Amino acid sequence: MPTPARPQLRSNSQPLKDRAQGLAFYLPVVFMAVAFALPLVLTGVWSVFERTMFWMEPGFTFFAYENFFTSARLVNFLDSMYHSAIAVVVCLVLGFPIAVFVRRRVPQAAQHRVVLLFILPFMVSETIRIFALRPVLQRNGLVNDTLIQLGIITEPLTSILYTPLGVMIGEVLSFLPFIVFSGFLAMEAVPKYVFEVCEDLGAGPLATLKDVILPLAAPGVFAGAVFIFVNGIGVALLPNILGGPGAVNAGLIATQAITALDFPLAMAISAIMTATLMLLLYIGHRLFDLTRVLEPAS
Amino acid sequence: MVDEYGGRWGYRLKWAYLLLVVATLMSPVFYVMYVSFNENGFGAANYVFTFAWYGVIFSDRLMLNALAWTSALAIVTTAITVPFAVLAAKFYKATRHKVLTLLLLLSPLFVAADIMGASLLVYFKNLNGVFEYVGAALGVAWVETWFNLGFMTAVVGLIVYTLPYAFIVVLITMGRYRVQQTEAARACGASGWRAFWDIEFPQIRPGVFSACAFTVILCFNEYTRTSLLKGGFDTFTTVLVSQMLNEGMSEQSYAMSSVVSFIAIAAVGAIIVFTLIKSEALERQARPKAEPGT
Repeated sequence: MPTPARPQLRSNSQPLKDRAQGLAFYLPVVFMAVAFALPLVLTGVWSVFERTMFWMEPGFTFFAYENFFTSARLVNFLDSMYHSAIAVVVCLVLGFPIAVFVRRRVPQAAQHRVVLLFILPFMVSETIRIFALRPVLQRNGLVNDTLIQLGIITEPLTSILYTPLGVMIGEVLSFLPFIVFSGFLAMEAVPKYVFEVCEDLGAGPLATLKDVILPLAAPGVFAGAVFIFVNGIGVALLPNILGGPGAVNAGLIATQAITALDFPLAMAISAIMTATLMLLLYIGHRLFDLTRVLEPAS
Repeated sequence: MVDEYGGRWGYRLKWAYLLLVVATLMSPVFYVMYVSFNENGFGAANYVFTFAWYGVIFSDRLMLNALAWTSALAIVTTAITVPFAVLAAKFYKATRHKVLTLLLLLSPLFVAADIMGASLLVYFKNLNGVFEYVGAALGVAWVETWFNLGFMTAVVGLIVYTLPYAFIVVLITMGRYRVQQTEAARACGASGWRAFWDIEFPQIRPGVFSACAFTVILCFNEYTRTSLLKGGFDTFTTVLVSQMLNEGMSEQSYAMSSVVSFIAIAAVGAIIVFTLIKSEALERQARPKAEPGT
């Protein structure tokens, strides 16, 4: 039988210990609020500061925005948005059917292992994958060599590397796995019998895709699309390495602004990117409830 | 397994397409590895197999120094990120404010590296200014250097980058855990920590180890945030990128790229093999229990 002293001791120290343990659960959220959300919110404030020789000082000017919206930077930004949108469509067309196939046709026990295959390219450094495309796509690279050896072309193609096409190929090869992950995660919420019901009722593959699969998997598809789109316009290495001279996106403009010590301009671009992202996520959440992507896990 | 509705050839064709996509995604990396073993380098007519370029890397003092810094960053980041991911996953499952929590924990996935790096750079420079002022006002010199660009700021940038990935991996593993087991342990008098460590942790261990592996790989791979926030030291990827930007793709660059890729592939391969072995062991354990009369 327990002595009365022991429970008393426990009851004195336990609430404090429990409270401390309870507070520990807030640590990651607080950390992300301070080290992620706050810097992004503050970009809006810093973007209206006055530029000085090497830094910036408090003030209120829209010069950085004017500088961005009335120069060639805006055209470049819109161009990169257009190319990124094409990459999103290509990734969806190539990647989403894989997510559907794995969920629908691969045995349950093997599904996660098959998805793990796509982790492999995703886990190789993005920097290396982008640089590795140079020897693959260039004049005497793997693609041209293979096409010439197969007799498909006689002269090497020069329109791949250092063109918008090269940037789009880079975007697709860099971000395609993400559409498979997010698509699969969303498809996990769709019970397998739904497909069987569709087949039993005689629905064709297109009707099943349009009326059943896409509405149910919409949160995952949208999340994947936003990821590709935002990274496509934000990863500076893509146009820097594959696009050649003149190819620019938001990430590269921000990096160049920092190199030129124009911090308000870099912050204005960051603020525009953050606002674009938040708007896209807000629209996506209103339309599809993005928390559904993680429903199978929670 | 062939599904009972689709045709055998259709099924095989879909598998072939899936594997073709994986092979295409990996082909640039494999091609770089192939070139890295050629004594004559990229584009040479003759292919002569050699390990010489790898020897050059590992005898380069700059490279070894960068490797040491990268390893230190990876260890410290993993030691903080993975416990954070476990705490965050438990917090997410318990909280009523799921949307806000998800927004905070997963949004870094959607913010491009250059934008996040630029924001953090300016944030730390501002904090540095504030702390220099406070330190000077209070006469406490050691406070002044807290937010100087360096190891600590690079770690913060890496945690922000890796936490969403680790969080998803742990959360998915935790999805299979039944909370009633913790409640039963608590009802039997176990403390919160004991219930977690003895009951829950063994079941989410594969997820935690996978999160550790992914965090290490991501730290080795990361370039943009690290290069903006690292201050004076170099990491593996910053040396690699500066060499590639300044001198183009040299034979040494091919070998360095291959080393980073080998590390990532080996780690992910180990996870896949471990998962296969583990799930087969679990199936073997479950089979006798499922048989009638046992």
